[in-house]
Amino acid sequence: MHHLCALDDVVPGEGLRVTTTSPPVAVFRTDDDEVYVVDDTCTHQDASLADGYLEGCWVECPLHESRFDLRTGAVDQPPAKRGVRTHAAQVVDGQVWAELSTDAPNLPPGVAGSTAVASGVTA
Amino acid sequence: MTTLDEGLDPGLEHGEPPVTTTDEQRARGVTPSSLLPTLPGRTYVDPAWFAAECEEIFERDWFCAVREDDLPNAGSFRTVTVGRESVLLTRTRRGEVRAFLNVCRHRGARICTEDAGEKRRNFQCPYHAWTYDFEGKLVAAPNLTSMPDVDRVEFGLKRVAVHSWLGYVWVSLAPLAGEEPPSFADTVEADLAERLGSLEPLAAYDVGSLKVGRRITYDVAANWKLIVENFMECYHCATIHPELTEVLPEFADGLAAQYYVGHGAEFGEEVAGFTVDGTPGFDPLPGMTDDQDRRYYAVTVRPQVFVNLVPDHVIWHRMYPMGPDRTVVECDWLYAPGVVEAATGDDADPAMAARLDASVELFHRVNAQDFEACERCQPAMGSRLYADGGVLVPSEHHIEAFHAWVRDRVEGQS
Ligand code: FES
Ligand code: FES
Ligand SMILES: [Fe+2]
Repeated sequence: MHHLCALDDVVPGEGLRVTTTSPPVAVFRTDDDEVYVVDDTCTHQDASLADGYLEGCWVECPLHESRFDLRTGAVDQPPAKRGVRTHAAQVVDGQVWAELSTDAPNLPPGVAGSTAVASGVTA
Repeated sequence: MTTLDEGLDPGLEHGEPPVTTTDEQRARGVTPSSLLPTLPGRTYVDPAWFAAECEEIFERDWFCAVREDDLPNAGSFRTVTVGRESVLLTRTRRGEVRAFLNVCRHRGARICTEDAGEKRRNFQCPYHAWTYDFEGKLVAAPNLTSMPDVDRVEFGLKRVAVHSWLGYVWVSLAPLAGEEPPSFADTVEADLAERLGSLEPLAAYDVGSLKVGRRITYDVAANWKLIVENFMECYHCATIHPELTEVLPEFADGLAAQYYVGHGAEFGEEVAGFTVDGTPGFDPLPGMTDDQDRRYYAVTVRPQVFVNLVPDHVIWHRMYPMGPDRTVVECDWLYAPGVVEAATGDDADPAMAARLDASVELFHRVNAQDFEACERCQPAMGSRLYADGGVLVPSEHHIEAFHAWVRDRVEGQS
């Protein structure tokens, strides 16, 4: 289990990007107080899903309107074609933890997994 | 009134005094005291002069941009031209009106090219998808997370100042020049108070509570100053406004309501309402006083608003100067909410709708007549004959104050 953040760090109805994992993940807290964790990077292009729009248990990418089901990672419509990787989340004593998936992440072209984060990219 | 000598000098060249001064008068060093000069012709055609007006006037002063009702919801937007800039106005999720330069912070694409619309989530630049929320903050962009040094507020849409009054949103671009916006009270409110004697008479119309019953947009091939000058005088009324002069017979004397302070032109005795044929309009607005009933008031609010007040409605013009020889005028006819509902709503009453038509038609004709006159002048502004401008007759002399103001703003700074 990987510790991600405190539940209070996440505003209900929004997402939080967490960069202590590689690749970074997004923690979503629905209005019903369900917590979901998925890879933060959209599978279409390098956009942060935590900056997207949470509706129920779906998040809409902030850039091109593909939506992802936070329960399964499935994508509903192009331009993203591949689903996003999901991680099993748990809230214990107000802290958010996740069992990080061992599947290969579906990162967009040009975004590397662990290596890019470690080497750091400058603007 | 002094009468002019008839003989016009046919031999005047560029740079000489106006042709209305005869040779004989010039020899005596006399200018007819009945006549005051206008601005020189080039101020109506010269792109450099227009650019200076944009910089010193439209991009500094409070500029009346949109009716607040044009932005009913979060994400509703309008784009308007203010000086040389396109300004994007919207409403935030908290219900506040914001105005931004309609320029992407990345590589300058126009964010919105439509005049009006409604966005669901955000404003997204159509070029590389930089995405801004309704507060203007940069909320997403491709690769943004790998550019953590890019501040999302600093690289948000550039905000300009807004001020809401009487149901309209004014903007000031002064902050772009590193300046505070001018005092709203000392400019916009002062112009209204000066013409009406005080702001008190405005209360009777409760302009902020009115609704737009009709909006007509005119694209006028004339310099904005020709339109202001036209609006300020009534020397032309008896010639080009037959319908208006029927309703307001005193206009035949050529003295506009704007010649006076606190003067409303009285409706003719036979006239029932401020309509194209003098038929009844609507009930007077609830706050109408006996003094103001059956009278017409007109005010110019610098730099680009004209207001007409009549007992049952308000006509509010906003000019958008687009270039030295082009001005868009958006004109709103504002009525009590109940009138607009009854005349234009889903279950509109045909009789009320017909009244609204007759009501709008009067000033729509006046506008069309006025703008045609302005368009007739524009091509002559570049004539050599007009190099030093034309002249103002006594009933137009008050326009000189407008000219002095323009000169002071444009030339005073340089
Ligand atoms: S970046 Fe997410 S859909 Fe394009
Ligand atoms: S110009 Fe707007 S995103 Fe590039
Ligand atoms: Fe007129």
